Amino acid sequence: MVYLVFLFLLGLVLGLIAVASNPAPFFGAFGLVVAAAFGCGILVVYGGSFLSLILFLIYLGGMMVVFAYSAALAAEPYPETWGAWSVLVYVIVSVIGVLGAGYWFVGEWDKFMWVAEEFMELGVLRGDFSGVALVYDLGGGMLIVCGWVLLLTLFVVLELIRGMGRGCLRAI
Amino acid sequence: MNPYVLMILISSLGIGTTLTFMSSHWLLAWMGLEINTLAIIPLMAQQHHPRAVEATTKYFLTQATAAAMILFASTTNAWMTGEWNIQQLSHSPSTTLVTFALALKIGLAPMHFWMPEVMQGLDLTTGLIMATWQKLAPFAIIYQISSTTNPTLLTTLGILSTLVGGWGGLNQTQLRKILAYSSIAHMGWMIIILQFMPKLTLLNLMIYIIMTSAMFMMFKYNNATKINYLTLTWSKSPVLATLTMPMLLSLGGLPPLTGFMPKWLILQELTKQNLAITASIMALATLLSLFFYLRLCYAMTLTLSPNTTNTSSTWRIKSPQMTMPLATISTLTIMLLPITPTIFSLIM
Amino acid sequence: MTPVHFSFSAAFILGLMGLAFHRTHLLSALLCLEGMMLSLFIALSMWSLQLESMSYATTPVLLLAFSACEASAGLALLVAATRTHGTSHLQNLNLLQC
Repeated sequence: MVYLVFLFLLGLVLGLIAVASNPAPFFGAFGLVVAAAFGCGILVVYGGSFLSLILFLIYLGGMMVVFAYSAALAAEPYPETWGAWSVLVYVIVSVIGVLGAGYWFVGEWDKFMWVAEEFMELGVLRGDFSGVALVYDLGGGMLIVCGWVLLLTLFVVLELIRGMGRGCLRAI
Repeated sequence: MNPYVLMILISSLGIGTTLTFMSSHWLLAWMGLEINTLAIIPLMAQQHHPRAVEATTKYFLTQATAAAMILFASTTNAWMTGEWNIQQLSHSPSTTLVTFALALKIGLAPMHFWMPEVMQGLDLTTGLIMATWQKLAPFAIIYQISSTTNPTLLTTLGILSTLVGGWGGLNQTQLRKILAYSSIAHMGWMIIILQFMPKLTLLNLMIYIIMTSAMFMMFKYNNATKINYLTLTWSKSPVLATLTMPMLLSLGGLPPLTGFMPKWLILQELTKQNLAITASIMALATLLSLFFYLRLCYAMTLTLSPNTTNTSSTWRIKSPQMTMPLATISTLTIMLLPITPTIFSLIM
Repeated sequence: MTPVHFSFSAAFILGLMGLAFHRTHLLSALLCLEGMMLSLFIALSMWSLQLESMSYATTPVLLLAFSACEASAGLALLVAATRTHGTSHLQNLNLLQC
């Protein structure tokens, strides 16, 4: 179990390195998918299966479709991958930076710390499941705020991309 | 823009700031900041020309980054201390990170580069909102964390932004960029006093908002976006041209005018804290700002009638703008100094 | 600082660095923002899971709603910038410099 957690945490950091090292947007979106998938793994191991499900559905189901569509908008003929030198420099610097920071903090970790954070087994009644349900009860105000901000975003997006009537590609 | 959509956007702008004001929890404060950012975006881009879209993109990227940094710092604080309250930010790296994030949000000196560019891309009404209303929500948080932040960091940020605000504005001919640099310099004054007397920060913010709104409304009334447009103000509205010179000097902080009040009280408080050198540096750095205010004064009032101007005259169309708010706020900009004791006792 | 804390902090800071340093595409910058939000989601979830604090389990969901709003506003800006500037490269956003 400890190795599994280590693998997931490593995957999360590596996924972010893949996003942050400035590849073409296709590959950046791929890195984000990898990071989100490993993040789901972490949450499952620590017992947050419902939150993990939400992350999986929203990120991989909803957001990635939109990002893939937009990556097609920003497409370029020869996309840079992590093999290209300009990207590889970022990757190497990031890996060295993370390793250095990890070495700095590793003195504080004893080897029981992994075990001390207790892992949860899968159960029928989960704390996060009922916790999220609280948004319909105690967190009603927050639900209203979220609903309002979603409505606001709808109008923001509509106002921003309005103006097709003035020509699709305008250069004023 | 459709009036109903405009109503939703404007009310969301108010709701965002109000949420940040009323919350003691970091998450709700962060939500307020996000709503605020989202609501102003279509207002900024409403003309849809390339400069407006570019300014909106830059504003969105900086504000989203700053908001994410605020939430990250408060989450780290919660991991370390288990406390989500805004006023109990006791973990020291989180405090520094929050200070930097808020400085990015209001445009303090090392993080100020977005501010003049964003202001330049907006029309004057949105610029007015950007320079005044958008500062309120971050300052609500800054005021609440003022007791836990690092004093050295605050002093550095304050002095640096006063200097940068003065220096950056020296070479500008665009009025909106000049006002952006003036805003940066004023933010420096607000931050430098934060650790000693947070009430004075609020007083300075209030006076700054009054003075900046007066300037923006004056520019809006004249349709002026460059210095050489200002030289024709006397032909459009002589009274306003006369009033603008004291308004500019008030913005620069000269004695018989309103703008002197916060500078006076801040310098006094700094001297009381045995920080004579800091006070001197701040006072001298303001001279840099005073230079470009004086240049605006020169262009407006000293190049009057017998001289020829380099600009072609504009049409003298009667402006549809209401003059009552402009009259009120320019009076406030000029004449508030005599009631300093009243204001001081009100906020203390 | 536990390993989990270190991992999400490292992920967030990597996202922040990626956003702060030179980006070619506006979309890459938005992806970095999303990466930061992802690490914040994991941080908030792990906080509520490790403290067994049920009422805090809603906070990641609220965060996710807000980050979705932010992402959609960013993508709308991407479309608008592509329309006005003809490309989504960040180095073309240079009209306002001086």
